[in-house]
Amino acid sequence: MEIKLVDLTKIYPGDEKKGVLETRAVDSLNVTIEDGELVGLLGPSGCGKSTTLYMISGLTDPTEGEIWFDEEDVTNLETEKRGIGLVFQNYALYPHMTVYRNIAFPLTNLRIYTEKKDWRLSYLWELQQAMGRKEEIRSILHSCREGKTIHRKTALACLTKKMGVSLSVAKALYRLPYLDETKDGEIETRKEKVLHAFERRKERREKWGYRFDENLCIVAKGKLSFLTKKKEVEDGTPYMVTRKLTKDEVDSLVRDVARLVQIEEYLDRKPAQLSGGQQQRVAIARALVKKPKVLLLDEPLSNLDARLRLQTRAEIRRIQKETKITTVFVTHDQDEAMSICDKIVVMKDGLSMQVGKPQDVYRDPDNLFVAKFLGNPPINVFRGYIKDGKCYLQGEEILSCPGVADQNVHVGIRPEGLLPAEDGVLSLNIVEIQTKGKDVDLIGEHPSFEGERLVVTVDSEDDLAPGRRRFNLRPSKVYLFEEKSEKRIRF
Amino acid sequence: MERRSNWKGWLYLSPALVLIALFTIFPIINTFIISFMKDYNYASGANEGFTFDNYGIILGLTPLIPGDDSTRVTEFIRYALPNTLIITFVTVPISVLLSLMIAVGLNRIKKVRSFFQTIFFLPYVTNTIAVGMVFAQIFSHTGLFNSIFGLENVYWLEQGMTTWGRSMFLICLYVIWTALPFKILIFASALQSIDKQYYDAARIDASPRWKTDLKIVFPLISPQILYVSVTSFISGFKEYNAIIGLFNRSYTSDGNLHDLYTVVYYIYDQIQSDSAVRHLDYAAAGSVVLFVIIFAFTLLQMQVSKKRIHY
Amino acid sequence: MEQEIQTHLNLIIPRRKGDLRKTERRDKVLHVLSLVLVYLFLAFFAFIVLFPFYYMIVASFMTEDQLTTGGFFPTDGNILENIAFNYSHTINNEGFPYFRLVLNTVIVGLGTTCGSLVITILSAFAFSKLEFRGREILFTIFLATMMIPGEMMVITNYITMSTLDLAYADQTQFQVYLTLILPFLCNVFYIYLLRQNFKQIPNELYLAAKVDGKSDWQYLWKVMVPLAMPTLITIFILQFIESWNSYVWPRTIIINRDPNFSVLSVALRGTAFRYLDRLDQWRPMYTWQMAATVLTTVPLLILFILFRKYIMRGIARAGIKG
Repeated sequence: MEIKLVDLTKIYPGDEKKGVLETRAVDSLNVTIEDGELVGLLGPSGCGKSTTLYMISGLTDPTEGEIWFDEEDVTNLETEKRGIGLVFQNYALYPHMTVYRNIAFPLTNLRIYTEKKDWRLSYLWELQQAMGRKEEIRSILHSCREGKTIHRKTALACLTKKMGVSLSVAKALYRLPYLDETKDGEIETRKEKVLHAFERRKERREKWGYRFDENLCIVAKGKLSFLTKKKEVEDGTPYMVTRKLTKDEVDSLVRDVARLVQIEEYLDRKPAQLSGGQQQRVAIARALVKKPKVLLLDEPLSNLDARLRLQTRAEIRRIQKETKITTVFVTHDQDEAMSICDKIVVMKDGLSMQVGKPQDVYRDPDNLFVAKFLGNPPINVFRGYIKDGKCYLQGEEILSCPGVADQNVHVGIRPEGLLPAEDGVLSLNIVEIQTKGKDVDLIGEHPSFEGERLVVTVDSEDDLAPGRRRFNLRPSKVYLFEEKSEKRIRF
Repeated sequence: MERRSNWKGWLYLSPALVLIALFTIFPIINTFIISFMKDYNYASGANEGFTFDNYGIILGLTPLIPGDDSTRVTEFIRYALPNTLIITFVTVPISVLLSLMIAVGLNRIKKVRSFFQTIFFLPYVTNTIAVGMVFAQIFSHTGLFNSIFGLENVYWLEQGMTTWGRSMFLICLYVIWTALPFKILIFASALQSIDKQYYDAARIDASPRWKTDLKIVFPLISPQILYVSVTSFISGFKEYNAIIGLFNRSYTSDGNLHDLYTVVYYIYDQIQSDSAVRHLDYAAAGSVVLFVIIFAFTLLQMQVSKKRIHY
Repeated sequence: MEQEIQTHLNLIIPRRKGDLRKTERRDKVLHVLSLVLVYLFLAFFAFIVLFPFYYMIVASFMTEDQLTTGGFFPTDGNILENIAFNYSHTINNEGFPYFRLVLNTVIVGLGTTCGSLVITILSAFAFSKLEFRGREILFTIFLATMMIPGEMMVITNYITMSTLDLAYADQTQFQVYLTLILPFLCNVFYIYLLRQNFKQIPNELYLAAKVDGKSDWQYLWKVMVPLAMPTLITIFILQFIESWNSYVWPRTIIINRDPNFSVLSVALRGTAFRYLDRLDQWRPMYTWQMAATVLTTVPLLILFILFRKYIMRGIARAGIKG
């Protein structure tokens, strides 16, 4: 689903009595998120990214502007009806429910639009079919054995998973004495009975005027119009109904999504018995189980430790690629956004600063804020000025920029944009050297440097000692910004 | 230093210790002993030794005069105990449910919530006796209740005119009225302490509001629900003030039929009796029975709810 | 890895297809409607809760004739005259010497409250900050006594009071005060409550005070007590309310039948308000009785309104049952 935000604005009213000022959390945001994209809302805390997410979800009402899901204006539609999945920052798993029930909960509120079936009939047929697969059942039950006892829940889970039968059939199979080989005969007679019951029921239904197709769905035969509100249907078309999900359907959906996020073993646990990473997967599973058209993630990784964070973000990427759900994801961590997003929206003070592919935004920032916010170590910013189409730092000419008017500028140079060279254009006083494996960071000083730590990243093969050094610039890594508006000067 | 601290602790505690020993611990033991004394005379402390008769008498098993069945005392077993159980099992579920609903209602509204909350809390600070007298006025046979509902000659509490059933109805009604405020307050503050994210999550899950309350909110406040039920069962078993406020007597009509007795009423009647012989031994036995009921019931409730409480 | 999401299922959110505006409008109407229902529900019960208070006041403004025939408003006679008549007779009733009763009740209330506060503070301090052998066991015993219904203690306490020669037909006023105050000076629940509060005060403060050369005694009163002030106020108010409303124990132990020695709730229930009419017949005066209930209830309601926040917050936090 495509999401379109048009002039989206959220104003929190102030309170003069309490001295609270009016705040514009989000200010005229215009973003289009394409179908199937993974988009990151990126910015420092308080930039309005979470507010934006909650407005998309409907939990927060926008003050102005519109939200479009495909061709529908959902701005005033209630959250419940938007059909979105949302993963909360601290997951908000229901603590009293097992993982299974947590994931199943959204399904209990949904309906399914499907062919009408006679449930008893399908059940009998499926059971009869499954009962024939004696050896298979036996080996599955044996594999679930722990000592002498068979745990019912594990056995049922194994049966549904490995044989592809529904939960109610699995329950029936579990009750039959498959493990006692002497009772083969009994199973055979039972099977006969089931088949007999199936045939009898089908016959009776057909006598009443029902007709079934090969999948045991009820199909039209003229008369049966009481099943639909339509008067007459063409002969042989299946009847469609909107109904609640059956237990079997819920079960199979829950297990599918649990497999997708790899938490099958934990379905019977309570959230408190899980680690942070597992809880996070459960939260994702709960959001995904209803097959939402939109998935929203609010700082999904901030509660995880560093190692898990790397693993989980790859996982989110994988799940998103597999399900192809349009995903919006809020983070303050640029690494996170850069590494998994198709597109990022960099925000500051409720305003969108730049929208684009992560690499494009990094390579070609529109303004000083974006340049500073993306990149690790951060970009080095100097005070410089332009004179006669040339850029100067402390009187040293470092760059020619034809066509740019004379003015004071901020000069941003990425740490990897400085190359050590004897005859370089820029001289820095290197005070410290930090080895970081493949790369080496040089910590330097320069009189017109604006930030706190001037870092130059060089190859470890360049052998450098502290002291005054000269560097050349890589033009693609050097950006000029206007002094006041901090906008990029392109030339 | 350690040693000094040692006696210091006891020093700080000494007033409490003296009082609790004198007015709590000693009475518990002493009452227990009295309940087993034969022909106990409270003024002199004299008694005729150990006996189970006090229990036998109040439970209607032992006649007062040995061998003479017509001298069985049945007011405890026939009225006090059943009335207590009826009052408890009628009022507690109703008041818990009602206060839960009111608390949920309070939680839904934003405007004037604290105003409503204050109103609902008012009965807590009022005198049960005084408001009971007001209830008695409202329910008198010429009173407001009858005139609103057009009931003529329906007697809720007039001596000799009312019936046991009507009186019990009135008692239950009043007990519910007095029991609501505490419960509403506890539930309302429990509901307010629930993380708002659960509501948001439920909305995302497209859960209707009633289902959110039933499936998510109530389980989340189940510890408070248990706590409130346990305490209200205990206070239900100890009901007394409501009857005094409404009726100021333990019978619906004249005679010796104390058909409005509760267990506690029975106990106090024995203590406050103006007759020369105060049967403190019966009272003691009654209070031990009360203790056993409360204790057993609390344990039972804890046991049952262990499976249902989620923290 | 093979991950397959079932795609043949067509899950839908229960909402009307097509016209979104209609859904929105319907939701809005339902929302408003449910809110109205909630308000109505709450208002209904608020009415039930408030009604006895309203009726109590209104009834005390009525003439006796009107009260016995019903009605929501005082319409019979001159209301001001009714008020003056009812209240003056209530206050001057020989069974209900109002100001004396208030004085007695306040003395008992303050005596119980202040005494129990001191004892609670001392005990809670010992249980939370002082180390001594047997502390935990002792505390458990204290807590265990909360399980036992008070009726078990009343019997023996009554005997104790008789044996101590405090409860007899000619008891003095002072003896009445003593019997009413003594058994309630040590309240285990409040000790428990305050101990929890004291425990939250970081131990570093205690050690710092030791370094400054403060004694335990000074530390308790100069540091702990001010820090625990909200809890102490809550305890104070609750204990006072409890004492003001208590009926059973005073009714049992005040054996002296002189109403001047009694307390409010006992005198309220024990007095037959009546009036000798012109035919020399005693007529029960329910309007006077209602005036007496107003006079008994209103002081506490005022206290409640003044300290509403402390009371409600305190009870919500502690879960105190009256």
